[in-house]
Order: sequence, then structure tokens, then C-alpha cells
Amino acid sequence: MGGTRLLGWLVGAVEREPVDWSAVYEEELPRVYNFFRYRIGDRATAEDLTALAFEKAWRARRRYRRDRAAVSTWILAIARNVAIDYFRQTRLEVPIDDSDAERETPETVAVRHSDLRRLGALLGELPPRERELLALKFGAGATNRAIAKLTSLSESNVGTILHRTIGGLRAAWDAGGRR
Amino acid sequence: MSDDFLSRFHEEPRGEFAEDLKRRLRDIEVAEAEPAARRRGRAVPLLAGTAFAAAVALAFTLPPVRAAARNFLDLFRVKRFAAVPVDPDRLARIERGGLDLKSLVSEQVEVIEPARKPAPVDGPEAASAAAGLGVRQPSVLPRGAALAEVSVGHPGAFRVSLDVSKLELVARAVGVDDPDIPASWNGATLQVQAPPVVMMRYHRGTEDFMLLQSRNPEIEVPEGIDLARLGTLGLRMTGMTTEEARLFARTIDWRSTLLVPIPVQGGTFREVEVRGQKGLLVTSMQPPKPSADGTPRSGRWRSVLLWADGGEIFALDGPGQGIEILEMAQSIR
Repeated sequence: MGGTRLLGWLVGAVEREPVDWSAVYEEELPRVYNFFRYRIGDRATAEDLTALAFEKAWRARRRYRRDRAAVSTWILAIARNVAIDYFRQTRLEVPIDDSDAERETPETVAVRHSDLRRLGALLGELPPRERELLALKFGAGATNRAIAKLTSLSESNVGTILHRTIGGLRAAWDAGGRR
Repeated sequence: MSDDFLSRFHEEPRGEFAEDLKRRLRDIEVAEAEPAARRRGRAVPLLAGTAFAAAVALAFTLPPVRAAARNFLDLFRVKRFAAVPVDPDRLARIERGGLDLKSLVSEQVEVIEPARKPAPVDGPEAASAAAGLGVRQPSVLPRGAALAEVSVGHPGAFRVSLDVSKLELVARAVGVDDPDIPASWNGATLQVQAPPVVMMRYHRGTEDFMLLQSRNPEIEVPEGIDLARLGTLGLRMTGMTTEEARLFARTIDWRSTLLVPIPVQGGTFREVEVRGQKGLLVTSMQPPKPSADGTPRSGRWRSVLLWADGGEIFALDGPGQGIEILEMAQSIR
């Protein structure tokens, strides 16, 4: 809003243009949720961890600095730490959950169950680093540059790992399931 | 190589989950509002994030109308800044009362030229060209600090239409029982053109200093508006009594003074001299960041210095209680 921008300019050195956190929520919720879906697996845990990540972000939102990182990267960094804490506590990675498909037809449910199981099994076999990169790429829709910033890997390294991992998954997928 | 098989499992979060989480986040905001206002350290930002503050600040920036015979718009130019103590509890009360000030204000704002996010440029010279001003730089930097980034932002332009009934609603909501706003103000339009802003970030260890520079924003005001009166109303909306607002308003040159709201329980402010110009230095204690192991940390001082010089306005923000940024500001050429 214009008026906010005017004052925001004047005190911008302390708090730059105010962030519209409602819009951030709408935009980032699917990305964070799908990051956990791909990273963790089952839907219920993905929801729990998504909620935890957003609550942490909301309590820290006044410390967010626009000049340090895009808000999407900032929230993903929080989500990533939540996932790391989760694995520290559980040391368990589970396949993607396919239990909530009541809106689909029996045929599509069958196909979908099968595909989800296959993908879950394939992801479950990946080393943690590769699975995390896939979750950031395909779950959160992050760019290689953003992933590099989040993981402290170089951008080219991220690209190489993703390319190799996707190639392996693709081959296993085409072969009918397990790698 | 196709990776569709990976993407197809992307799904939207359940609506019930999304709504429930949204409520929980709103609860966090509500729970934080009052204690945050009380413990205060973040003086200026407390208000900067609210549309209400913007509306009040905008009212304060308005110059008096020139002679009634003049049949065209007046212009306001910032020459100095002055602090206005405000009561943050008023804002908290409004939020708790459910009055949507943001909507009330935004309904009256029309964006003429949308703001564009700051874009990095190659250096000060490129910034000068992009912003259309001669970028000035400090010759003295805090020990260990170096220029890390230069960017140019475009705040854009907007138009504010006064709506007397809404203005009265807001005034009464913050405790002004007798706003006494002339009906003739209804529909009057103020236009704000904010020129490009050059932002130079200086980095030191884990700290940043930020220097912002811009040509003076232009605010066009239609004739017929008694802006000293509007400004006085704005002062009362910040928590001043009628008499306090009247006395304060008499000390203000409404043509050239931009008022900066400072919460009464927040940081300190003082007038300083910057290269022969009067500036405003606001210092506040920033809330501590939690440590990784949960041990308590103390907050840090942070200051922002505002001043105008030669048709341009400056803001310089940095850590500490102002000694380093003052020295930096004095060296700007």
C-alpha cells in the first residue's frame, strides 16, 4: 500500500518495506507442506511439521531481513531445520503416504496408490542429502540457487547431484519400481 | 530427461489444515501484540508496519495550503524531521477491537505507479544513473565495514482520497471523541510521488549499516484543506490531549517538517546536527535473538538517523547508540 511505502521508506533502514505476512502464508504454505511431503513422507507428519515450521517463522518474523534472503528462502531454511530436528529425534524416514484419496475414482485411486507407493519406495532408498535436495526442488519448488544457499553446496554441485539423482530415479521408475 | 513422474505428486494442503494453521498463526500475532508493545525497544518499526501509522504520518507530512486565490496544487518538501511520541497501546486496543484499519486506509489509496522491489546495481555510479541523483558516499566508515551492496528501489506513486466518515471512524476508535473534521474535506485528493531510493549496504562481521538516499518526495495537496488542522487531529490520534496537540502543532512548520512516530515506551530520540542540517537520531534496544542452545542473550542497541540536505533526504541505520552512524553521516560528500 502506498502510504505504508512512504513511511517504510523513511524508516526503511530499520524495517524495510513491511512484509505482507498473510500473502506470505498463502504463497508459502503449499511449498513448505510439499517440502515435508517429499522429505518425510506421510501426510500427517508433513502437516505437523509444516505447522511447526510456520509457528517458528511467525514467532521470528520480526527478525526477518529482506536484504538477507527472500522470504521464501528464509521460511524454507526454517522448514529445513525442523526436518533436521525431526530426523534427529526419530531417525526414521517413511514412504509417501497415499491414504487420503477419497475424492478419486476407484480406478484412479488404484493407479495413484500404486504410483505413490513406488515413488515412496524409491525416495525412501535415497541417501538423506539427495532426498532433501529433491524435496527442496520438487516439493518446495526451490531454484538450484536457493537450494545452494540453503544447503551450503555450490549451485553447480546442486545441479549435478539433482541430475544424477533424478536420472537414477527415472531409470528405476521406468524399470517398474525398485532401483 | 523428463521428471514429470516426480512432480505429479505435488499436492495442495488440505483446506481444513490450512485454515486451522492460519488461526494458530493469528493467535500468535494477537498474543504478541500487547507484550511486544509494552517491552518495546523497536521504536520506529513498531509503527512502520502498520497502515495506521502510515495514515497518521501522511497526515503529518501535509503542508499548509497556500493562499486561497491559488488555484493549483501545493508542494511539500522535507527539510527536517521531528519525533512525535505515540501510545502503542492504542494500536493494540484497536486491533483487539476488531477495527480493520488497514482496510479502512487502503480503500482510500489508489496506486498510480506501483512500487518495484530494490534491484542491485553495479555500484554508486550506476545507482546515480538509475536514480537520477548524485549519489553521495561517506568517506569515513565504521572500523571493519566495507561497501557490500548497492541497490535502487522505486517506491512509486499513489493518491489518497480523504473520506471524512472513515477518518472520523478511525479518530473515534483511537479515543478522539470530537474529531471535528470539516465535511468539505470529503473527496479531497493528495498525491504522493516518491522518487527512486538508492540503498547502500555496508557490512562488518555480522552487522550491517544501511544508507538510503533519495530526492525529496513530492506531495501535492489540493487547496481548501487546513492542513495544520488535519495535523493537529493526527497528533491527537497519537494520544496527545487537545491542548498538547495544539501546542505541539504551533512548533511545527507544516510545510517542511516530516513527523516520525516514536512509541512513548520505546527508544529514545534526539535532535542532532548533520553537516549543518538538523537531523533526528532514534535509538532503540532490539529484542535479543535466541541462541542455538537456548541460553538467554541480551538485546542490542540500534539507531537510525534521518536528515535532509540540499533537496535530498537521507536515512542511515546501524548498530549501536548512534556514535558510528553519526560519524559516518558527517563524512558524507
